[in-house]
Amino acid sequence: MIIKINKLEKTFTTYKRGSGFKAALKSLIRREKVIIKAVDEISFEIPHGEICGLLGPNGAGKSTIIKMLCGALFPTGGEINVAGFNPAKERTRYVKEIGAVFGQKSQLIWDIPPVDSFSMNKAIYGIETAVFNERLAELTALLDVAEVINKPTRVLSLGERMKCEFIMAMLHNPKIVFLDEPTIGLDVIAKANIRDFITKMNKKGTTFILTTHDLEDVELLAGRIIIINHGKKVFDGSLEALKSELGRKKIVELKLLMAAEKIDIKGVSVSERTSRLELILEVDMDIISIGEFVSELSKQAEFTDISIKELPMDKIITAIYKKGSKA
Amino acid sequence: MEKFTKLYLKCIKIAIAGAMAYRLNFILSTLLATILNALFPLVTILIYNAGASFPGWGFHEVLLIQGIFLLTNSLAALMFDGVLWSSMSHIREGTFEIVLLKPLPPLSFLIATSFTPEIFGGVVAGVILFSVSLSFTGIAGAIAIFQFLVMFAGGFSVITGLYMMMAAMSFKWVGNSRLTEIFDSIMTFGKYPASIFPSAIRGIATFIIPVAMIGFFPASALLGRAEGVMFLAVIPCLLFMLLGIWIYNKMIRLYEGVGG
Repeated sequence: MIIKINKLEKTFTTYKRGSGFKAALKSLIRREKVIIKAVDEISFEIPHGEICGLLGPNGAGKSTIIKMLCGALFPTGGEINVAGFNPAKERTRYVKEIGAVFGQKSQLIWDIPPVDSFSMNKAIYGIETAVFNERLAELTALLDVAEVINKPTRVLSLGERMKCEFIMAMLHNPKIVFLDEPTIGLDVIAKANIRDFITKMNKKGTTFILTTHDLEDVELLAGRIIIINHGKKVFDGSLEALKSELGRKKIVELKLLMAAEKIDIKGVSVSERTSRLELILEVDMDIISIGEFVSELSKQAEFTDISIKELPMDKIITAIYKKGSKA
Repeated sequence: MEKFTKLYLKCIKIAIAGAMAYRLNFILSTLLATILNALFPLVTILIYNAGASFPGWGFHEVLLIQGIFLLTNSLAALMFDGVLWSSMSHIREGTFEIVLLKPLPPLSFLIATSFTPEIFGGVVAGVILFSVSLSFTGIAGAIAIFQFLVMFAGGFSVITGLYMMMAAMSFKWVGNSRLTEIFDSIMTFGKYPASIFPSAIRGIATFIIPVAMIGFFPASALLGRAEGVMFLAVIPCLLFMLLGIWIYNKMIRLYEGVGG
């Protein structure tokens, strides 16, 4: 196990602020303390070489967990061990073993070419020149940015810059890399390049922890998914397990020849009626097989087009987020 | 330490290259810094031109105080002004994690990466003012040079301490560009002969916030007017710097959420 956390907790103390002039005056004299549990007794273990997706709505506590895992934030309670270190306590030694890419926080120096920022990291991490050159050549080839790294950072496109952020984070050959929304704002091709790069580096043994709101990232990369909501862990398992979380269901989009009065099949419900002739059905595979469903359907209605799909991820995720909110 | 020196030299090169990326801006700001700083003894010039004087101090002697003050101040700013501004912007933009990701003490990383070449103009102005006034006053002797160097280092540590305290305050007083004004006015007490201030202020400027060490004491040493109490004041100077560093590191610990 490269990451072990047990009943990890983080609470923040803030002050209640009312709105308006009166409340503002009052808050100058006495402020009411509010204690917020950003991370509430979360436990999980991640084995070496995994790509784990950390999901959750905005404000769920993902970033707080990542900060604690990176050693930038001391936990309020619980145990944490990454690659044999207690991150915040042994920070300066620990961070040599990790890398991090934050989609919204750049580590490159704005006015100079990325290659100069890289050489700064070479000095910071004390990387041998030969090792550095080899590693840089390997990473730039994988990301296809050999020319880009010599242009000033400020003239690079977001996609090119993001690739350079990855190089910056991985030059010192970290065992584990934390990615906080690494594909945010990128176009389809840049996203594909980045994902391809992550997969390749993972095959070479790097463990990745990834937070994202892009469900495609999750489907294409993460072998393991942990969902956080309101500071608590609400799901932990494989992509397959996540997909069957709402039961084994399929979505059927149907175009009818004539408006049917009613489709009445056991285990099938109409989830949306997009027009008079177009329907979206939800089929519960635990009750009825797809074959039975199609033959039953053709008895009840005539249709011109049919497509059968998996239950979309966003629907599953939304359901889990909502469930977490009620608890 | 050797690793840090290597990193620091590399970062200075990078900072200069970065500044050169906007050539016109760099030339203009260096030029402006030189001119504005060279104008700094204007008040002194006016006073002496009007026939008045600081008791016991000739015109060029006061200029010497101010030359040393400017030189110390610009050298310290060259190294530490960037720490203040980058701390401030990291805190305000929530990007301080980037600093904490590096395998170095945060303060070392910030000092290394925030060298500010634009302030070089101030150093140039300081050197000019210092050498011109020195050519009029002369040096009291070899021992005076040694005494001067000790006190110059003392003055440098006081400003370092002040910068650290300012940067530490920016953690709580986010985005307040007024901070530097407060410290500028505190430092005023180093620009003039201490004899013009009431004794209470002289005491504070010698032992509590030893700003007299930034200009007045080293100048006195060069002119052979050093007194025992001035040497004693080197100790609070060093303590002041250590206090500044301690407070800054304390703020980082708070940011990391220790006991919070």
